[in-house]
Amino acid sequence: MGGVGPRSYTSPLMAHDGHAGEAFRGRSVVSAEDFTKDEILALLDAARHYDRYQDDGPSFSGIEPSLQGRVLGLLFFEPSTRTRLSFESAMLRLGGKVLGFADAKISSFSKGETLVDTIRVVEGYCDAVVLRHPREGAARLAAEVASIPVLNGGDGSNQHPTQTFLDLYTIRQAAGTLDGLKVGFMGDLRYGRTVHSLTTALLHFDVDLKFIGPENLSLPKDLRDHLESQGRLGAEAESLADVGDLDVLYVTRIQQERFPDPMDYQRVRNAYRVDREALAPFGPELKILHPLPRVNEVATEVDDLPGALYFQQSRNGVTVRMALLDLILGGQAGGSVS
Amino acid sequence: MSQPRDFRLTDGTVIDHLPVGTAARALELLGLPREGPITVGINIPSPSQGRKDIVRVEGLFLEKPELDRLALLGKHLTVTIVHEGTISEKTVLDVPERLIGILTCRNPTCVTNAEEVQTVFFKQEGYPYRFKCEYCERITEPGEAL
Repeated sequence: MGGVGPRSYTSPLMAHDGHAGEAFRGRSVVSAEDFTKDEILALLDAARHYDRYQDDGPSFSGIEPSLQGRVLGLLFFEPSTRTRLSFESAMLRLGGKVLGFADAKISSFSKGETLVDTIRVVEGYCDAVVLRHPREGAARLAAEVASIPVLNGGDGSNQHPTQTFLDLYTIRQAAGTLDGLKVGFMGDLRYGRTVHSLTTALLHFDVDLKFIGPENLSLPKDLRDHLESQGRLGAEAESLADVGDLDVLYVTRIQQERFPDPMDYQRVRNAYRVDREALAPFGPELKILHPLPRVNEVATEVDDLPGALYFQQSRNGVTVRMALLDLILGGQAGGSVS
Repeated sequence: MSQPRDFRLTDGTVIDHLPVGTAARALELLGLPREGPITVGINIPSPSQGRKDIVRVEGLFLEKPELDRLALLGKHLTVTIVHEGTISEKTVLDVPERLIGILTCRNPTCVTNAEEVQTVFFKQEGYPYRFKCEYCERITEPGEAL
């Protein structure tokens, strides 16, 4: 893609909708619920542009270093591999820099500093922050306090909106659409924030939502009530074999850290696992997603199936976060280049 | 219902149309008793709601945050202010769409239970009242969170 220089560069988002860029610029990303269907689709369309980076690798020169001179703060009070590194990768690929910590123990949090104070300090060091925090609502609070955009990298068992965007991107990339699909969620439906965020976002689309999991990890009451009130609570089953047709299976890890009672975790940890035999009835067209990391819930023999998309999904994290950062920080995708 | 002359207020507040069983909770919410006599009626016949509770407090005049708290106890509560033995104002309490600093989030891992921040809850549709925490997005009922 050599030869695409700043003067000829066209914003991928501006090509979609001249107004959508304004909707993202300077904006915090706290909850998937804060975004309209049009805004989500605009982001996914913009992200297509950055797919070429994956295809061509570092030799690809079609992406401007639009965030040169910008700094992204990565405040990870909980462990993360994909979210932290993909944000970092996205920022570096756009010419920006990152700072932060990946362990609360090495921050002043360990000295008793409040989140609010941490945010007020760090906002002086960077242009936006990505926050992962064990407390639900931490990102909302940080966004209220900060004068710079806050991107929620996961707040307890509540929301993980950028994961949702890349999940939607992966489904649309593989299926060609987000409408007319049967999407099943399996595993930890209660504590899995990716399930909550993605389910909520999928309500924008014509999708059959199905749920597979043990009774003690079933959907939280609030989400269940919300789905019921919308007439969107689909089939529920304790076994994958009982859920009927599926186009997409979204598997989640049973998260030990989300269980207040360790005994509850021991009771369900091995209950949900998919292998080739379990997936055979769904045929080769089934798309299998997983936010990763997996423990043992997806057998490695599944990795070679054409529908096993979880590593592609993980790579898409960079693609989608590049688009998001570019839009929020007013880079090229925000339409600042003529 | 006829009321004994001794129970009438001279200057104070009548909290009426409380759902049966909530009079004691109303007293607790208002930090009563303070000074002045209080009359509590429980399970009183009511043409509009079958049975109700009622609280009359001499010398009490409520501020907006206290009224917002009381309003959560039931639908269409009325607060009547009495001056010199006559009614000066009667209000049907309305529950605000947004409650600031009134409820406590019952989610133990909500950030509002760790940081010094006022809680914010949004009223959801329907009755009994339900509220969504602005921060952790959990739904709570006021009985749990007041």
